[in-house]
Amino acid sequence: MSARVIAFGTALLPPLLLVGAWQIASSTGLFPPQILVSPADVAGTIAELVRNGELGSHLGDSLFRLFWGFGIGALAGLAFGTALALSRLFEALFQPLFQAARQVPILAFIPMLVLLLGIEEGFKITVVAVAAFFPVALATFDGVRGIPKGWLEVARVYRTPFPSLLVRILIPATVPPVLTGLRLGLTRAWLVLVAAELLAADNGIGQMMEMGRQLFRIDVVLAGVIVSGLIGFALDRGVKLFERRYTRWRVA
Amino acid sequence: MTAQPRIQPQSAATDAPASGALTLSALSKRFAIEGRALPVLDGIDLSVRPGEFVSIVGASGCGKSTLLRLIVGLDTDYSGEIRLDGKRITGTSLDRGIVFQDHRLFPWMTLEENIGLALLNSEIPKEQRARIVCEHIALVNLTGFEKAYPHQLSGGMAQRAAIARALVTEPTLLLLDEPLGALDALTRVHVQTELQRIWMRQRSTVLMVTHDVEEALYLGDRVIVMAPNPGRIRRIVDVDLPHPRDRSSPVLHRLRDEILAELTGAPDPENLVRFPAQEPR
Repeated sequence: MSARVIAFGTALLPPLLLVGAWQIASSTGLFPPQILVSPADVAGTIAELVRNGELGSHLGDSLFRLFWGFGIGALAGLAFGTALALSRLFEALFQPLFQAARQVPILAFIPMLVLLLGIEEGFKITVVAVAAFFPVALATFDGVRGIPKGWLEVARVYRTPFPSLLVRILIPATVPPVLTGLRLGLTRAWLVLVAAELLAADNGIGQMMEMGRQLFRIDVVLAGVIVSGLIGFALDRGVKLFERRYTRWRVA
Repeated sequence: MTAQPRIQPQSAATDAPASGALTLSALSKRFAIEGRALPVLDGIDLSVRPGEFVSIVGASGCGKSTLLRLIVGLDTDYSGEIRLDGKRITGTSLDRGIVFQDHRLFPWMTLEENIGLALLNSEIPKEQRARIVCEHIALVNLTGFEKAYPHQLSGGMAQRAAIARALVTEPTLLLLDEPLGALDALTRVHVQTELQRIWMRQRSTVLMVTHDVEEALYLGDRVIVMAPNPGRIRRIVDVDLPHPRDRSSPVLHRLRDEILAELTGAPDPENLVRFPAQEPR
């Protein structure tokens, strides 16, 4: 228990030092206060944004997009990755295209998607789905392909019926890599969503930051930075906890 | 040379089982490597009596593991014949169990789930399966570890669990592919003793591949010495000692020295004696 407290404190030290340095930099006037707002002011802004419901409303809009975009992208990635791993024909057809397309930065798709879909919800959900799709598809492909041949041989020796093979062997064997892919996909989706909202949106956490920039409200911009960072961190941690819980059989 | 195989009295048992007779005739296997056919097994003739324990030793690359894969039915691309109780082997079947060098237990299943997996396609009624699994866990002395996951077991325990899984279907033929190869010396000796005890109770036919000559002699009624390139039977040694055996028996030591000399001696293909199928029956 005390070891955990120490570990927690150790992890907290660098962020605290960073905030301290930030406070010093702003209070000594190293940068003009219009450009570098002090951490205390940013905290005040966050409190204000929470109180007047603005932050909650933007965050709700962003998380709604994340939920749908990630859900669609992850499901498509799971299906695509599985098909790619199991079917020779599917692999021959799509593997090169997939490998090339996943090298394109997701943000590079944005101008094209704006032209095709406008800047409405459909566009943002699509961007998020595309961002989630690639890591999930890749992890699923690797996970299914990476099932050790020895395990499949055991199933052949005992003539395990196909439904049992699927439920008891194939799915559990792919859960760990797929969960890692989902986690990567989720954090990637969040990053891309905030970026897309910065570029084109009427609401959402990214749009809140963009409005702050246009109005020269650097405190609002920094509040957005902190909140989106915390959300990304929480998403990553959440899936990690889930991973640990459901793959407890891995060396403890 | 003790290479005159003779008809041997069933070593430990008078109650020889009726099934589990394995016959290999003119068994050959080739791998196609870069378009060239590479022979790995060439003209193997062997017949194993029901309930017999046969060990196979040989240099690496002599096709001993390939031989087991053919017999268990994981690889059906061969020429010649493999028959178990007169029936030609065409694929895997629950009447043949196998233990691999790596235990191949599924890490997300408990010990009893791992062993129970082997019974999913068996004809044993569902309500009896739990009891049978339990009995086999007891057979390999792992009672109390039913709910343990593989990573919580030591190497020797995991290998014993794999043996229980292979035996739970009550196969007439048990194949062991270097089952103790990954264990440390002390654990090996322990599991060897266990294997002997289990086999004496179970009395299924056993074919064990190993690279440990002492292990082969300690457990085997006969030891098949194989030669590589292509894999073939070089010599068959009868170990005419009753089970359970005493490791310090002078017979075992003399046979060990002979086999080791043969395996490590200068490989001169000209002088390589090829024993034809000298089989007791």
